[in-house]
Amino acid sequence: MTMVRLRARVAVAAAASVVGLAACTPSPDDDRPLVAVTTNILGDVVSELVGDQAEVMTLMKPNADPHSFEISAQESGRLRSADLIVSNGLGLEEGLQQHLDTAAADDITTFVAGDVIDVLDYAEGDAAGMPDSHFWTDPARMLDVVDALEPVLADLAGVDAEAIAASAAAYRHELSDLDAEMTDAFGAIPSERRALVTNHHVFGYLADRFDFEVIGAVIPGGTTLAAPSASDLADLVTAVEQTGVRAIFAESSSPDRLVQALASEADVHVEVIELYTESLTEPDGGAPDYLTMMRVNTERITTGLSP
Amino acid sequence: MRPRTPLLTVVGALALALTACSGATPATPDGTTSSDTGDGHGAVSGAAEVAEPQLGLTTIDPSGAVTHLDLLDESVSDLGSIGEPTAMTTDGRYVFAQTAAGIEIVDSGVWTWDHVDHFHYYRAEPRLLGTVVGDGQATVATTNLSTSGGTGVFFAESGEAVLLDTRALSKGDISEYFRIETDAHAGMVVPIGSYALVTHAEGGVASSVVGYTSDGEPTEVEAPCVDAAGTITTRVGAVIGCRDGALLATINEGELVIERIPYPAASPAPAATSFANREGRPTVAGLAGTDGIWLLDTRARSWTFLPAPAPLVSATAVDDDDDHVLALAADGRVLVLNGEDGSVIAETEPLVRDSIAAGHIPALIADQQRAYLSGPAEQHLFEIDFADAARIARTFDTATPPMFTAETGR
Repeated sequence: MTMVRLRARVAVAAAASVVGLAACTPSPDDDRPLVAVTTNILGDVVSELVGDQAEVMTLMKPNADPHSFEISAQESGRLRSADLIVSNGLGLEEGLQQHLDTAAADDITTFVAGDVIDVLDYAEGDAAGMPDSHFWTDPARMLDVVDALEPVLADLAGVDAEAIAASAAAYRHELSDLDAEMTDAFGAIPSERRALVTNHHVFGYLADRFDFEVIGAVIPGGTTLAAPSASDLADLVTAVEQTGVRAIFAESSSPDRLVQALASEADVHVEVIELYTESLTEPDGGAPDYLTMMRVNTERITTGLSP
Repeated sequence: MRPRTPLLTVVGALALALTACSGATPATPDGTTSSDTGDGHGAVSGAAEVAEPQLGLTTIDPSGAVTHLDLLDESVSDLGSIGEPTAMTTDGRYVFAQTAAGIEIVDSGVWTWDHVDHFHYYRAEPRLLGTVVGDGQATVATTNLSTSGGTGVFFAESGEAVLLDTRALSKGDISEYFRIETDAHAGMVVPIGSYALVTHAEGGVASSVVGYTSDGEPTEVEAPCVDAAGTITTRVGAVIGCRDGALLATINEGELVIERIPYPAASPAPAATSFANREGRPTVAGLAGTDGIWLLDTRARSWTFLPAPAPLVSATAVDDDDDHVLALAADGRVLVLNGEDGSVIAETEPLVRDSIAAGHIPALIADQQRAYLSGPAEQHLFEIDFADAARIARTFDTATPPMFTAETGR
């Protein structure tokens, strides 16, 4: 085996000092510190913590994909003028990594949520061994993030640390309530029914925390459902029969067709329920903030799996 | 293994004073500048994220008319017209067609973002992107990513090696990272990370590959590769076929690495000169002449030889749990083979006998659930359920001969 290696070129960040200082003028409208946040889930949490003590710029828009969203040149410029950048990490913000690296090279303070939690690795599939970045499906881990983030926010120049402490305490309370509600709701599902047959990939932390089994199943797509046979549905049918669940949690553009195919080809009768996964919705949508998103998912899972 | 950023990268005293200002825009490490989506929105500009892959068959007829068959709703749309095509390559989103003008590029407007642990699916407006001008037959090499990295084009007659900026393609622009002159030969430019491998020739025949940066600067990475032919990118790395084996290029912690995977010693079978697979999967298939199939497992770095049950004209590896391999027999049948031993699991009737007799090589493309076969002479596109006894799930008629067919949306 021949192996040849080349050291990657390292980008050298230009020193910014003199020019930067000379050109420095604070934003005329807002002299509060600027906290830039990558995902809208963390954006919501950070907003709850800072209240009116800082300006929060959330880069990811509602109903977006956290991996591949792009930011405008204007947002990229503002990112480099942020006082703090809060990101999810663990490889989630792939499309943004370049901007985050540039900002880090510019010596902007950064907070990476994935660095302060107990990380789970994917157990199987092509991603086996890689860290699972979707920690927010466990509210206790979000609480860990809040605990670690509070002192960082309190240290921002110009913020009232006491105000941060008060809002953090209030939000911790909210998270604890959420945690208790989820514990109660899932606890009421008989343990043998606590199975998520799903093509959603984000519920590893939730499953770990609340003792669910996640059964990743191939959910037949439109090309399959156009002319399905029993073999197309075999994987899904096996998962449903093994677990005895009456609901599967799937992203599907044609859930009705899937329900019909399962019924007609395999005599399997299930509901297909979609959950919120990686993004909040618009304010008038079903998951406008983190707490609501978690409650809606909890309700849907509980309803779907209860006898 | 993965670099972890420290909890806090706190900076010296100047940081807070400096943070309120933004300095000059620095170039990003791979030479691109910050993306500007124009509308100030954070999503992928002009694209809608959707719940499942927007699979379609994008075809080109002999006159250059480009048509897209949506496999979800079975609608057919006309994407426009290019020159008369003589060859075609695809990455699952763009169609790169060889015409008299050079390489004409069509954006089907449907693609998949592979995040390894899962996928995201997009749909945008399809469009004709324009032409990469060059002389003679070109070889196009793509990655599995349609919004970042590079796409290689090598013009045999002029020896021009071109690396296109794939992100620019996703925004509708044809932009070249580099265009360098080499000796005229049937060569290739194979993108890998922020690098590209370019073949070098001796006596008009490819004899080695050299790693280049995206600026077109040669690196010290070089490997011999006599009679370089055939390239494909799996989720493991980029493959280049050579007379005595395959080269596998990967990026390991930012470094370009080339490994050699030699054919088994004393193998009498001819080397594979083209490769096909279910997009992205680690195992790829290539014909060993007409009487066998080479399977290259890029993860295990190993070759497997399958004897052919009949003379073959093409093969592709599904690389699913059952190790299905699909082959098109010279008599027009699609064979579903067991990738362990080459035994025939199922077969279709001869579907494209006339096309093969007329000298066409029908496209045989596998995705996770279905395979697609084009019949230029028959004017059919067949959808085959390879896991269910090679059942024909759907047959689509085409208005004109589908000379070249790409499965897009993946």
